[in-house]
Amino acid sequence: MNDTQFKEQVMAAAKARGLEEYELYCMKTETVNAEVLHHELNAFSSSSDAGACFRCVYNGKMGYAATERFTEEEAVRITEAAIENASSIESEEAVQIHGSGDSYEDVTPVQTREPSAAQLIALALRIQEQAYQEDSRIVDGTQSFASFQRMTCSLCNSKGLDLSDTSAYSAAGCIAVAADSGERFNGFEMKASGFDELSPQTLAAKAVEEATGGIGAESVKTGPHSIVFSGRTTASLLATFFSVFSAESAQRGLSLLAGREGENIAAPIVTITDDPFREDSLIRIPFDSEGVATRRKHVVENGRLDMLLHNLTTAAKAGTASTGNGQKAGYASAVGVRPYSFYLNPGGAGTKEDLFQAMRNGIYVTELNGLHAGANPATGDFSLSAAGFLIENGEKARPVKNFTVSGNFYELLKNIALAGDDLEFQTPRGYSCFGGPSILVNDMAVAGK
Amino acid sequence: MISRKILTEVLEKALSSGADFAEIYVEHTKQNNISMVDSRVDAITDRLICGVGIRILKGTRCVSGSTSSLERNDLLALAARIAQALSETTQNRSVTLTERLFGDIHPIRLVPESVENRTKIDLLKEGYFAARHYHEDISQVTANLLDVDHRILIANSDGLFTQDRQIRTRMSISAIASKNGENQSGSASPGRRMGLELFDLCPPKEIGEEAARQAVTMLRAGYIKAGRMPVAIENGFGGVIFHEACGHSLEASCVSIGQSQFCKKLGQKIANEKVTAVDDGTIPNAWGSINIDDEGTPARRKVLIENGILKNYMIDKLNGRRMGMEGNGSSRREGYRFETTSRMTNTFIENGPDSNEDIIRSIEYGLYAKKMGGGSVNPVTGSFNFAVNEGYIIRNGQICETVRGASLIGKGSEILMDIDMVGQNLETAQGMCGASSGSIPTDVGQPLIRVSSITVGGR
Repeated sequence: MNDTQFKEQVMAAAKARGLEEYELYCMKTETVNAEVLHHELNAFSSSSDAGACFRCVYNGKMGYAATERFTEEEAVRITEAAIENASSIESEEAVQIHGSGDSYEDVTPVQTREPSAAQLIALALRIQEQAYQEDSRIVDGTQSFASFQRMTCSLCNSKGLDLSDTSAYSAAGCIAVAADSGERFNGFEMKASGFDELSPQTLAAKAVEEATGGIGAESVKTGPHSIVFSGRTTASLLATFFSVFSAESAQRGLSLLAGREGENIAAPIVTITDDPFREDSLIRIPFDSEGVATRRKHVVENGRLDMLLHNLTTAAKAGTASTGNGQKAGYASAVGVRPYSFYLNPGGAGTKEDLFQAMRNGIYVTELNGLHAGANPATGDFSLSAAGFLIENGEKARPVKNFTVSGNFYELLKNIALAGDDLEFQTPRGYSCFGGPSILVNDMAVAGK
Repeated sequence: MISRKILTEVLEKALSSGADFAEIYVEHTKQNNISMVDSRVDAITDRLICGVGIRILKGTRCVSGSTSSLERNDLLALAARIAQALSETTQNRSVTLTERLFGDIHPIRLVPESVENRTKIDLLKEGYFAARHYHEDISQVTANLLDVDHRILIANSDGLFTQDRQIRTRMSISAIASKNGENQSGSASPGRRMGLELFDLCPPKEIGEEAARQAVTMLRAGYIKAGRMPVAIENGFGGVIFHEACGHSLEASCVSIGQSQFCKKLGQKIANEKVTAVDDGTIPNAWGSINIDDEGTPARRKVLIENGILKNYMIDKLNGRRMGMEGNGSSRREGYRFETTSRMTNTFIENGPDSNEDIIRSIEYGLYAKKMGGGSVNPVTGSFNFAVNEGYIIRNGQICETVRGASLIGKGSEILMDIDMVGQNLETAQGMCGASSGSIPTDVGQPLIRVSSITVGGR
């Protein structure tokens, strides 16, 4: 049975059951990946999978059920299961299926070429060869990959919405392993873009630079230090703490930004934008998981909290409109709140070297680890293991590692002294992608030796 | 799930371009998740995960693919696509599948899928409200009850045809305590490879109270002052230290390709002689246990480190070929979308020679890490970090005030040598371990241990 037939059967089953408000959300993902190790193709994979999630309003409550088998039997089962699940819901929050009437941004898909298997393999091989050529200390264990991914998300409901969107991108990366005096070091670089923009030279060079840059690193002195976070680490902090900007978290008492719209919550140079249509992104989606039109907005503007991110349910509770951020964590999950391209805007303070000059003495942090464990969005506290470079008199002095950087995200927002002109994005996860510039923060707690 | 005739056809097609091994993995998983927030049942999601993963090996090369279709034509097309990607020579190899049943060492008394939502909700509420009513500072509680019924079928060109059914249940409760515009959190989330009889073993009330107790305790804690000091790490989830600092580096997936700090170290001393560590997938009903791994190899108990000497790795078929070693029941994958590789099951440090009282008494100034949070490791360098969710200062051999915001960082190979006291209250705790082959249930564990000196991050 194909997707269209399955969709029709689910809609028919829901109607036959006497339901009035219902929706089917489908996600289809195709991935091709080539991995190279020891100068040869080591693994190649090609996957295609699809899942569908049905939800319905039954006695004023929302019920969900999902499947990956597109059969007539499953069409009926998910309808019944969603009704049964709705029957046990106690939440008093207003639920609804979104109707037509929104005007959706015309997202012309970026023309991305689907690379052939041979092209992906060739690219992965070139990246690895390049990595070995970059530096004589690069050793076996160095790995590279190239992949292509296409996701199609579609939504069809009883109120007449019938939407579909396809995003595709290629990605490639390198894990470079360097050996020096019996010790091993690694560096990782990855980029998601159109296939033709993936440069084996740049990817290999960056991974090798990161691996060899850490050679000879020692810890730093425990105490307060000024820190320049690289764009990549700024982005990962934002990715870890994005939920503090979610109205769902706020309404549940899990964000300290609850009720603070209109207040200054960050330094005046802080502007945070959520953009579903960012020009350089290959993932641009005109509707969210509830079918609401997405839009570009500043969440924080010049330090002032302009808004929190909403879905239909949190917006109804707050007496406002959805911001188009109703997103599922996976196709089978309930609708939550997630951003799109979510980034701290560049602050005009120049290159990272200019920030080093402004800082004079401190640490340039290029790596943060343990974000899933050592950081807590409910409290804002973080204590993370880090690596980077010591900055002395405004210049990069020597590599440092094995130290922790601790603080509180809410305080950090207020303490960003300078933000550079650069802007670096992580690779996308689902429809979310986080970014930021290099930033200077004074007086961070550092534990080392 | 799929007839033996079709499986045979698909395997033969997958072998047609010269592979020396072909394998098909079929998954049929039902998941039910009930969640509560704001004192109400907030969402119930129900999910059927179903699909097929096929892989072929030629020496140490691997080609794989997956599909959510179970139709014969789609499977043959996938097998053909995979074979084409290898395209060495053409061969006609026939496959004869013989069914093998390895038995089930994990009895299930209450199969969750056959129990109504209502009953599960009553259990969840018992835990939820135990946390909510624990203390006036508790401002929010979120809770969920997850049950998973995971059926797998594995067939390969060596003639293996086998199946397993893995049922697991877990309740997770997290509590937030708030005062003066500040939040602190606590959580508890026991699970087992069993049905709803889990809650006879772990009463929901105790789960809720434990989460709330941590949050309220931490609200009254000051920040720890950073520095290097001795640390006593408590049993249960404290075992995450071994999981992160050492376990991941003993997985063949990184050992075989030179990405581990413990490459080529079998037979060498890598830990203090008081340390004996085991990965055991055969413990009845333990969270990380299996009957067979995801290549169809029966689960085993493997001594990884014995009295400080490295004895074994966790090995899957493909990486075993790279190392010239056999798979040892360690190949695991979240499901059909993921490529299987070597992973942990239930991994823990065994009881040692020291009494717990002596361990605390031996520390003049240090940290007692009562509850650990999660962590991560870079297997190449061995650098790890993990969070201390509930910590106390030890002063003159006495456990004193609570401290928050601590994290432990170090290097796997160094901390293993620095574990200089091992206590006697071995206990395990549950985690979901994420890696290339997806998120899988694993137990971590240890008795109380002392690390002579480690960097403690704080303020």
